[in-house]
Amino acid sequence: MATGEGKKRVPIKPGLFRVPTDGGKGYLIGSRCKKCGDCFYPKRAVCANCYSQEMEEVTLGTRGKIFTYTIARTSYPMTPLVAPFITAQVELPEKVQVLSLITGIDFDAVKIGADVELYFWKVREDEEGNEVMAFAFKPVGT
Amino acid sequence: MAEKEVVILGVGMTKFGRVTGRNPMEMAREAGLMALKDAGVDYKDIQIGFCAHCNQPIGTGTDCFAELGMTGIPVTNVELACASQSRGVMLATDMIAAGVYDMAMVIGIEKMPRGMVPILGEQSDLPYPFLMGLMPMPGAYAMMAQRHMHLYGTKREHFAKAAEKAHRNGSLNPNATYRDVYTLEQVLNSRVIADPITLYMCSANADGATATVICSKKKAKKYTTKPVLLAGWAGGTPIYERGGSMLAEGPTEKLGKKVYEMSGLGPKDVNVAQVHDAFSPGEIFTVEELGFCGKGEGGTFVWEGNTEIKGKIPINTDGGLVSCGHPIGATGGRMIAELSWQLRGLAGERQVKNPKVALLHNQGLGGTNVMMFKM
Repeated sequence: MATGEGKKRVPIKPGLFRVPTDGGKGYLIGSRCKKCGDCFYPKRAVCANCYSQEMEEVTLGTRGKIFTYTIARTSYPMTPLVAPFITAQVELPEKVQVLSLITGIDFDAVKIGADVELYFWKVREDEEGNEVMAFAFKPVGT
Repeated sequence: MAEKEVVILGVGMTKFGRVTGRNPMEMAREAGLMALKDAGVDYKDIQIGFCAHCNQPIGTGTDCFAELGMTGIPVTNVELACASQSRGVMLATDMIAAGVYDMAMVIGIEKMPRGMVPILGEQSDLPYPFLMGLMPMPGAYAMMAQRHMHLYGTKREHFAKAAEKAHRNGSLNPNATYRDVYTLEQVLNSRVIADPITLYMCSANADGATATVICSKKKAKKYTTKPVLLAGWAGGTPIYERGGSMLAEGPTEKLGKKVYEMSGLGPKDVNVAQVHDAFSPGEIFTVEELGFCGKGEGGTFVWEGNTEIKGKIPINTDGGLVSCGHPIGATGGRMIAELSWQLRGLAGERQVKNPKVALLHNQGLGGTNVMMFKM
């Protein structure tokens, strides 16, 4: 960590997403089958459509639509999310769905089909002082 | 063809209950002895055993069967989450249909641990939803329910009706864990777990054991003149679909079609059924997937009372998972027991009028099983 730079950011689970850095955006990281083009999140080593093992890592689109959702009213112990919160399946342009926290919408205003965009938030700091990051989606333009 | 036909010869189950303090071996023995007695067979006639469980220690299968006798038969433990026991019965059925064995037994046993189940392993091994507490269950059912409401106009009241019926049927079942009756309002106003699912729409883990004796039709003639025949059976896991939500636990519709084809029977022929209601919306989805009503009609179908004991297609006449409670590995055996009793006229206050054909749908985080029985 060089002097003058911000704290280092690390994903809460390695390999799932690229955290945003100063001047750079963050992205969810999935797999794309080189043979048939189907995309997957999380990454797959074997294409579920054509069984090819020629998979490449790709960054996925940061805007999606709410496919379905619920309001979680119970928290799980030892997890960062505190109920109540919105959890949803977000459909990305690559035709993959990702289960995600949704913020910035009132519970009675959540709509299937709503446009949402990816962002990252700090869960906690680790023992080395790095920022441990998770992702979520919020209404586009907010 | 008679050699390939398979029957359910005997069934047994303990009373289900929450934190009963009962020893799992004692429960397995009780259910096993009941099934042997129901079948009219001796333990030494059993040629192969399967033990269905999810939370019990290594060696549980052999220990359970040893309670009944030590004849040296092969015993295998089967885990498919909530669908473990029905999968065990299907495995036994496949073997008997293939002519490898004549008689098998499946014991389902679950004693739930006290308190929270600890999450094992390194934190980073867990999938992201578990790490974050994004609530995969009942989140998946709740999300499917929300989508159903969006697409078809299904209402919260429709889901609540399935729960109200479950609790009412359970009050007629001495083996059920939860036997209180609730009004529709009480179901709707109970604590929300994940919208639209409320507390009284949820099943809760329970202790319990079930057992099933499966036999070739040829050999069964020795024991009964009115066997419960396995007319069709099929099991599966989720199928990849580009852009799919992957919320479903298995390909129910596809398995249902396979079972209808295998048995030569259709949805209209079914007189009584068990469907997996880990959460009450499950009944609404499954009546569509099994063809009891059209796509999107599940809400009104249940609301209008079609799945009541006196209805067009009685479903979960014993109270289902919601009222009976859910000893995970053993639940499939409860479904089989209730359907066997219904077909044989032994269901007492819950008896459906003269059923001849019964359908079972049992699923969990791992897969789905569909089975057709007929007298």
